[in-house]
Amino acid sequence: MIEIHHLDKQYGNDREGTALHDINLVIDRGEFVFIVGPSGAGKSTLMKLFMREILPTRGSIKIFGRDITRLKNRQIPFLRRNIGMVFQDFRLLSDRNVFDNVAFALQVIGTTRREIRKRVPAALEMVGIKDQMWKKPDELSGGEQQRVSVARALVNRPAVLMADEPTGNLDPQTASGIMDLFNEINVRGTTVIVATHAKEQVNRLQKRVIILENGCMVSDQERGVYCNAY
Amino acid sequence: MHIRSLLYFFGEALKSILRNGWMSLASIAVVAITLLILGSFMVLNRNVNEITRHIKEDVQIVLYVQEEATAAVQMELQQQLIAHPEMQEVRFVSKSEAMERLMDRLGDRAHLVEYYMNEESNPLRNSYELRTRIPEDIPQVAREIERYPGVDYVDYGSGVVEPLFQFTGVVRWVGLLFMGGLAVTAVFLISHTIRLTVYIRRKEIMIMKYVGATEWFIRWPFIFEGLILGFVGALIPIFIIQYSYQTSVLWMQENIYFISMLPPEAVMQELVTLLIPLGMILGVVGSGISVRRFLKV
Repeated sequence: MIEIHHLDKQYGNDREGTALHDINLVIDRGEFVFIVGPSGAGKSTLMKLFMREILPTRGSIKIFGRDITRLKNRQIPFLRRNIGMVFQDFRLLSDRNVFDNVAFALQVIGTTRREIRKRVPAALEMVGIKDQMWKKPDELSGGEQQRVSVARALVNRPAVLMADEPTGNLDPQTASGIMDLFNEINVRGTTVIVATHAKEQVNRLQKRVIILENGCMVSDQERGVYCNAY
Repeated sequence: MHIRSLLYFFGEALKSILRNGWMSLASIAVVAITLLILGSFMVLNRNVNEITRHIKEDVQIVLYVQEEATAAVQMELQQQLIAHPEMQEVRFVSKSEAMERLMDRLGDRAHLVEYYMNEESNPLRNSYELRTRIPEDIPQVAREIERYPGVDYVDYGSGVVEPLFQFTGVVRWVGLLFMGGLAVTAVFLISHTIRLTVYIRRKEIMIMKYVGATEWFIRWPFIFEGLILGFVGALIPIFIIQYSYQTSVLWMQENIYFISMLPPEAVMQELVTLLIPLGMILGVVGSGISVRRFLKV
């Protein structure tokens, strides 16, 4: 589903600006992958490359069999409709209620109102906050807000769900709930890629773990752990 | 464009205008003021043009024929005047017709010149009233025909006509420059407002990008916002100018009756058909500039 070959990303011209160096990676359909590493290891850069927010300096990124580095600007939105994205800071619109926040993702791609009325409650039910549908984000806890953000990423039924430090702003117990939700989503067939440095969560779930350090891939383990050494 | 999307863009633009109430109000006010100045100047310019057109139409050359000129010389002079390429109208005024006009003008006191009524005692001269195709050519033509045989002298209000033509020319150019400057100001202000809207809505725009909204789906609401700001900004000065122009026309009719202003209906129709599209174009151009420069999608 995702294939990366000899990927380099350099910010600016000097070698110190190297964010990723010679990354080779294959992620299959239905996998759950943790991308871990300390701050500045290149996790977020990799996520930005997947979303085609930035272009690599060298190498190719194939998603759904297509090299996304060759996409024209007007083709990018259609790539993103197949990738749901979750962020550390939730990125919810504070002036809209939960329903409208999730519906927003469908509205802007031209989904009919009828379809929106059907799909939004289903997505909210899946993440376990259907009963909070008419509340504003400010009235929810951090964990609940992140669930809204997950519902928004899922409502368009993407093939891949990506999360960049999704538990960074949450306490350990709430973080576990969010990670379990990702696991559940993965069990239902969605490919999940989570960039994080939450060791306990990574070690608890026992999924594939890719470790990045200084822009290089230092380890790729099935049912791996994130050791203290990193 | 799908009707559902169109309604969405329109709704989003309206919501954004209402959400940023004070800022929208300020930008509408600024656009309205700009278009008010522009509109007022247009109305003024139209009236000045109309008045100067009347004045220009009244400007003519009067050519006085030498008293001793023979009938043959006079005939040749007339033919030369008619043949002149710049000439539009050549009208002969005999000395007796000139006397009749003088008596008309004197009215009750006409008896004072009764003595000069007969051909021999009439001191006035035969003359030609001449109009050129282009009023601005009068001084040049006057200089040319002065040298024709049988001409005593030529009068065209020298010293009055030249400054008048210069003045109307300056008014027209200053007007055009002024209007151009104001239009640029309006575009700048709308563009600035949309830039602020883009900044305020940056989080929304970012989410739209991540969930796969197309470039134009993100851009259209801002274009609509500029369009609405321009439209509302144009409506306000139209109402203000309509009221104030009607009032001034009535006042002029009552107080300065010899200056006739253009009828309000004609001016307003022209103003509406020009100001509304202009406001909308300014709005779209202004938002277009900001969308291109600041909305990275």
